Amino acid sequence: MLPRAAFLIGLVVVVVALAVYPVFGTGYGVRAGLQMFMWIALAGSWNLISGLTGYVSFGHVAFFGIGAYAGAILITTAGWAWPLAALAGGAAACLLALLIGYPCLRLKGPYFAIAMLGLNEVLRALVSYFEGLTGGGSGLSLPTLDASRAIYYVMGGLAAAVVAATYLIVTSRFGLRLMTIREDEVAAEAMGIDTFHHKLAAFLLSAAGPGIAGALTARDQGYIEPISVFPLIVTVTMIVMALFGGKGTVWGPVVGAVALFVIQEIVWARYPHAHPLLFGAIIVAVVLLMPRGVLGLLQLRYRLPRTI
Amino acid sequence: MNVAVTPAMIGQVLVSGVLAGALYALVALGLALIFGVMRVINIAHGPLLMLGAYVTYFLYSQTGLNPFLAVPVAMVTLFVVGLLLQRTLVFRVVGAPELSSLLLTFGISIALVNLTQLAFTSNLRTIEYITGSWIVGGLALSKARTIAFVFAASLTALAFVFLRSTRLGKAIRATSQSREVAMVCGIDVGRIHLLTFGLASALAAAGGGLLAVIVAIQPEMGGVWTFKSFLVIVLGGAGNYPGALLGGMLLGLVEQLASLFLTTQLSEVVAYVLLVLVLLVRPSGLLGGRQT
Amino acid sequence: MTLKMLGALGLAVTVGLTSLPAAAQGPIRIGASLSLTGTYAEPGGYQAEGYKLCERDLNTKGGLLGRKVEMVVYDDQSQPATGVRLYEKLITEDKVDAVMGPYSSAISEAVANVTEKYKKVMVAPLAATTSIFKKGRKYAFMVISPAEVYLEGLVDIAAKRKLKTIAIINEDTLFPKASAQGTEELAKKAGLQVVFKESYPKGNQDFSGLLIKLKAANPDVLAAATYFDDAVALARQMKELDVNPKMTGVTVGGDLPKFQELLKQTAEGIYGASQWEGALPYPGAKEFFDTYVKEFKHEPSYHSAAGYAGCILYGEGVKKAGTLEADKVRDALLALKTRTMFGDYQVDRDGFQTAHKMVLLQWQEGKRVVVWPDDLANGKPRFPR
Repeated sequence: MLPRAAFLIGLVVVVVALAVYPVFGTGYGVRAGLQMFMWIALAGSWNLISGLTGYVSFGHVAFFGIGAYAGAILITTAGWAWPLAALAGGAAACLLALLIGYPCLRLKGPYFAIAMLGLNEVLRALVSYFEGLTGGGSGLSLPTLDASRAIYYVMGGLAAAVVAATYLIVTSRFGLRLMTIREDEVAAEAMGIDTFHHKLAAFLLSAAGPGIAGALTARDQGYIEPISVFPLIVTVTMIVMALFGGKGTVWGPVVGAVALFVIQEIVWARYPHAHPLLFGAIIVAVVLLMPRGVLGLLQLRYRLPRTI
Repeated sequence: MNVAVTPAMIGQVLVSGVLAGALYALVALGLALIFGVMRVINIAHGPLLMLGAYVTYFLYSQTGLNPFLAVPVAMVTLFVVGLLLQRTLVFRVVGAPELSSLLLTFGISIALVNLTQLAFTSNLRTIEYITGSWIVGGLALSKARTIAFVFAASLTALAFVFLRSTRLGKAIRATSQSREVAMVCGIDVGRIHLLTFGLASALAAAGGGLLAVIVAIQPEMGGVWTFKSFLVIVLGGAGNYPGALLGGMLLGLVEQLASLFLTTQLSEVVAYVLLVLVLLVRPSGLLGGRQT
Repeated sequence: MTLKMLGALGLAVTVGLTSLPAAAQGPIRIGASLSLTGTYAEPGGYQAEGYKLCERDLNTKGGLLGRKVEMVVYDDQSQPATGVRLYEKLITEDKVDAVMGPYSSAISEAVANVTEKYKKVMVAPLAATTSIFKKGRKYAFMVISPAEVYLEGLVDIAAKRKLKTIAIINEDTLFPKASAQGTEELAKKAGLQVVFKESYPKGNQDFSGLLIKLKAANPDVLAAATYFDDAVALARQMKELDVNPKMTGVTVGGDLPKFQELLKQTAEGIYGASQWEGALPYPGAKEFFDTYVKEFKHEPSYHSAAGYAGCILYGEGVKKAGTLEADKVRDALLALKTRTMFGDYQVDRDGFQTAHKMVLLQWQEGKRVVVWPDDLANGKPRFPR
């Protein structure tokens, strides 16, 4: 059995270590840490909609991209400070989620998945079209600012927020209803649950994280263009991470994000070409062999609580 | 910069739309079959099309075979691939929650694309077999696209004849209407699933092979076809096989008209807006289908 | 999860993040990221070969400052964001002594932020967009002619032939946009009327709508600011839709040997812009061409030559400065005025290239013929229409 106290102590140790790291880490290391936090936030957010309600979002990177553009535009044209711009990025993403969720979540079935599948390309096209605002294909250059360390902390805060939000939802009535929708939507409706609004709420929540992360990443990279902030591989990666760790759990996406990120960093420099293949294989393996992910396996073996 | 639109231009665009529409219909029909019979949403459909394109390309470039004759070979190859995929992986998620089949086929799709990239690189390949166009009454009919249209239309027609009139075709339709009743009637549902996936893959391969004669191919070409095939099904109505024909034509025409009246940039958006509109207004499709 | 597992995980993460490779002594290590995969793989590959050849040639001649030269190249997969990460890695982790630029304006623009931050001189041999060098950057150096003049030859020949109308289309990314804008200005100055303009998204394969409108506008000249894939698709679809302007020119892609290999007869008569051709009368151009073919078993493109020249030019700067110190090398490169196998080199205060000349070539009977400017041409343009 797992002593709760030991778990919390371990958590505090890790958090302190991560908080202190930037003091003696290299620029590259801080950026790597920042990216790991980003993946935790992304995988965790994907989990909020797809893990909890069972509605698979294939275009989740769209929220990342729109957050990146909203944040970058506000920083360059309106002179906003980047923390505020990041929040605005999250808001923009929520707005997009509302626009897409409204027609698609009212229906059951695969319509949502299909709509999310095509969303990415559409946003890229729109960004290119409104080039006066977004710089179109030329991309947007942000004024030079070395804020990597500050962004490291903010991104870490975001990751923590997503995990905390997931914990709160999973242990609440709201979360229970979401999972009921996942298990059997028709029965859920018969029980009187307003499935549409529940799904929509989860969807909006799942969009905020990527939106903020996108804006923060835009600030950190200093330059964005449509293809760099709307790439399919980002959606694939967050799906793999959440699946591998255990969708529908609180810590699953964290486990998946950290594990896969570390593996990616070690293997990356040598075999960048085979990434998607590896990820595809992992997805297939997880779906067929361990649908509840690593955490699911551990839950079974060690009888861990449902809300882990 | 805007150019005044003349009737001749619209005529040209309509022709382009119809030529494109047949391909959309052909490919979407395959997807519709998988969805109708197995309730599986095959995200890997686009990559299967892409593999068909590559098989056709390599037959042509290695042996000089007429690419239009290579298409049937590609179809057979992908039929087998489809059977294998179904037999080893997909059958496990038939009847499982949607999430599983979506994720599984998604995983398969990215694996297939990456395998192709590793094997053949992302370089564009083109089949320079037939170029230019026939000029008929002031309209330019691209030779390659017109021949592809004829093939696509014939294959689609054949598919429908198969579905309507043959025992196997009727068994497929019966299974897609109701799995339980089909079983009671003595239909080996497992076998039907297998054959359907193979058949759908063959149809996608045909689309891919025909495409290979028209445009340059590269490993990621399939993704947009998956989305558009779904769009066609939504337009025509899920489970409504003739609906796929209508949906395909409609999509082809709408896209071409959009690129004429708007800019090329926006025509990508149009397909999407169309999807959202249909979902808002008439989610059961223009011809109505079964509710999912 | 157990405390042990958490601890082990934390340790692994910390070790992973803080492990640093030992700084190399001995050879001068020059780092770069190149587009070896992805949409720019074709020209990126040529540039990589150029760098390799330069590394070899520098070492045969005794290296730089008495030390061997070693190039460290990563694949940025044609993505600016990846390039940014890689240059951070090269500079802060791998601790390279110097850097060379990546492929394309977009990626060069993105990584220039990194190199400026760490004050590392970067010769960016394949960055053709003026704006990159007009942002007050101090350590970025341009080698090739800017995007704006890529199709200067096309406009010039058209004006001399007294053609009247021109259509300008471009891919919607940094370089083609700049090229289209520059071409428009040149066209207006030459007295040509711009009758059609449209841009299309990156990766676009379907030009039918655009071409139908273009056909209706009936321009004498088509100037297309493209990369490789779209140039190929455009040429094919023009044939299909029977769109035949009197002159058609494309930017990147029209000069690559593969363009003709893929299109065969359809490429005939099309103009391409090139920063360099093996047949040009520059010192060492022919030797470079022959050595390259021997080494890599295919002809070089101008990307190869630019990469090679950029690396050689950086070497010149280091030799003149006598040190690897960024500020001294920078001063040397600013003052340098020379002609290499690639052409003339001189930059203004911003590192912007002012001396190098573009050439215009035309595909005639399956071969590239340089037709403009007159003092570098080895053939005359043909006008089938």
